[in-house]
Amino acid sequence: MKALTANRLSDGEVVFWKAGAWVERLAEADVFDDDALATEAETRAKGQPTIVIDPYLIELVESAGFWAPVSYRERIRALGPTNHEHHGKQAEGGGAVEALRQANGAARSSGRVNLIRRK
Amino acid sequence: MYRYDAIDRAVLADRTAEFRDQVRRRMSGELTEDQFKPLRLMNGLYLQLHAYMLRVAVPYGSLDPRQMRGLADIARRFDRGYGHFTTRTNIQFNWVRLEDAPDILDALAAVDLHAIQTSGNCIRNVTADPYAGAAADELEDPRVWCEAIRQWSSLHPEFSFLPRKFKIAVTASPHDRTAARVHDIGLLMRRGRDGKTGFEVIVGGGMGRTPYVGPTIRAFLPSDRLFSYLEAILRVYNRHGRRDNIYKARIKILVAALGAEAFGQEVEAEWAKIGPAGDLPQAEIDRIRNAFTVPDFKADPSTGDFEDRRAREPAFARFVRNNLKAHVHPGYGIVDISLKGIGETPGDISADQMDVVADLAERFGMGEIRSTHEQNLVLPHVRLEHLHEVWKILDAAGLATPNINLISDIIACPGLDYCALANARAICVAQDIARRFETPDRAEAIGELKIKISGCINACGHHHVGHIGILGVDKKGEEFYQLTLGGSGAEDAAVGKMLGPALPIDRVTDAVEAIVEAYLKERREGERFLDTLRRTGDAPFKEAVYAEAH
Repeated sequence: MKALTANRLSDGEVVFWKAGAWVERLAEADVFDDDALATEAETRAKGQPTIVIDPYLIELVESAGFWAPVSYRERIRALGPTNHEHHGKQAEGGGAVEALRQANGAARSSGRVNLIRRK
Repeated sequence: MYRYDAIDRAVLADRTAEFRDQVRRRMSGELTEDQFKPLRLMNGLYLQLHAYMLRVAVPYGSLDPRQMRGLADIARRFDRGYGHFTTRTNIQFNWVRLEDAPDILDALAAVDLHAIQTSGNCIRNVTADPYAGAAADELEDPRVWCEAIRQWSSLHPEFSFLPRKFKIAVTASPHDRTAARVHDIGLLMRRGRDGKTGFEVIVGGGMGRTPYVGPTIRAFLPSDRLFSYLEAILRVYNRHGRRDNIYKARIKILVAALGAEAFGQEVEAEWAKIGPAGDLPQAEIDRIRNAFTVPDFKADPSTGDFEDRRAREPAFARFVRNNLKAHVHPGYGIVDISLKGIGETPGDISADQMDVVADLAERFGMGEIRSTHEQNLVLPHVRLEHLHEVWKILDAAGLATPNINLISDIIACPGLDYCALANARAICVAQDIARRFETPDRAEAIGELKIKISGCINACGHHHVGHIGILGVDKKGEEFYQLTLGGSGAEDAAVGKMLGPALPIDRVTDAVEAIVEAYLKERREGERFLDTLRRTGDAPFKEAVYAEAH
């Protein structure tokens, strides 16, 4: 399963694709089980350069009934910094945030190599 | 402090107006991200994991109270109420909006600060001894030369597109508090046979994926010939530096490839061509020197009730032992303010704490504040008769942790919690180690021990020169940490040696404790950790860590 993510141009906020627009919470994002649909969404997202920067697809795994990014880096992007639990999206709390926190150990890669290319 | 003149202010105003227009053009789509990225980076604006990050230059680590309050105001209005001091003595704001960036630059310019050349392949903020102008052992205030280098290198057309970034450190004390030997250029002030000052010139030190302690290419360079010599070094680098490979582009690679002697000969040949015409006129140096206001020190060695308080109050005595250093003027002391509260993020400071430091500098510190490459602050000129009151105020603000140079005074880069380049977190590792050694008696019994943590091989956390260095690596998506021992960024500079296989995150603090216990077992009277390690080699430490870990 995949989701599409980017940083919003105006403020750098981490955002996720939902039906042609962008939402701030992974739990609300479109989840693709079809690679072709995911790639099509990525192509459409790249046509929004005044809204987001560098959209890219991330892999997801199931965690406590929610979808969580496979890579540790993407989980931190979806939550916020671990040294300030009241900063970032994690400040809201709730089941989706807990599920992301519980997803430790699922990673196969931090995704760093691809991110360096993009940033 | 150096005082801005009308030209300085006009340059900043123009620069901010230019960036405001660039942001407008990016938002409207006139500029693509590829076109805009180098422009924002030239103004210190990065895109990190959660938001934009603005890196503000703190020239040679000197701030006045008005500037510190300006930073507090920015933290409140445009960030989340805090800032983060870095190993380049700069301050970063982690939650900046692109839309706000031009207004932040205006707010910085209002207090004579900016973010120019805090990114990009140019000459970055020059670092100086944080005790400059106060240290009992310095030859003269190195900040005059730092300011001259700042003015010379700012927007310098020939050196704005170097093969890679370029960092210079200047110190005038025999005890190096700048890590000069791991800079692209380290300038160590020396006194010549004629009594005049000059510099030992070190070139090609550095950290990152290829660490080097820089060699000396000139044992003594007269001060008045500094700028032609710097120009010669940079010209040789600009000509021969590896622009084809980012991993080999720093000057350290060039110096290592040519050899220090051959590199030095190239520089000398270029220097001969430039000649004295490339040097700053003495009148210009004098103008800059005169722009530094020398504090009005009282010729009064009295210390009030300082000694009495120290004798009666153990907590104050502990602060004095660890956070007070000798000042050149009797009756004064240099006060280190630790930004390493136990369990806190190294280098972080809240807006309210910034205001407290600004107030203290104004009331008791002759208006001067310094930031250090070890992510702490300094009040360089405090009368000892006021120290108890200063300590009480710092303590109330959570800024009196008595741990300077002790095991919990840890350098840590932002790591994977913020940084787009990181492999692993660094902050939480520092927090965990600090908590393990939070008992002050235990930390003091261990003595000087510098732990430095980087979240990736770029080494922003200076792990190569940590007595204990910790490097975060990515092993199949999990955070692992390699330990190195024996590094030093001081006058006995050395690159640490890897101890053994990387450890998972939950074993790092145990490993550090095992190293400390081995040191306490092995050490002889008066030895620091580094002394013991250099005498015994790493065998006892390797055995301790890997016996514990497996």
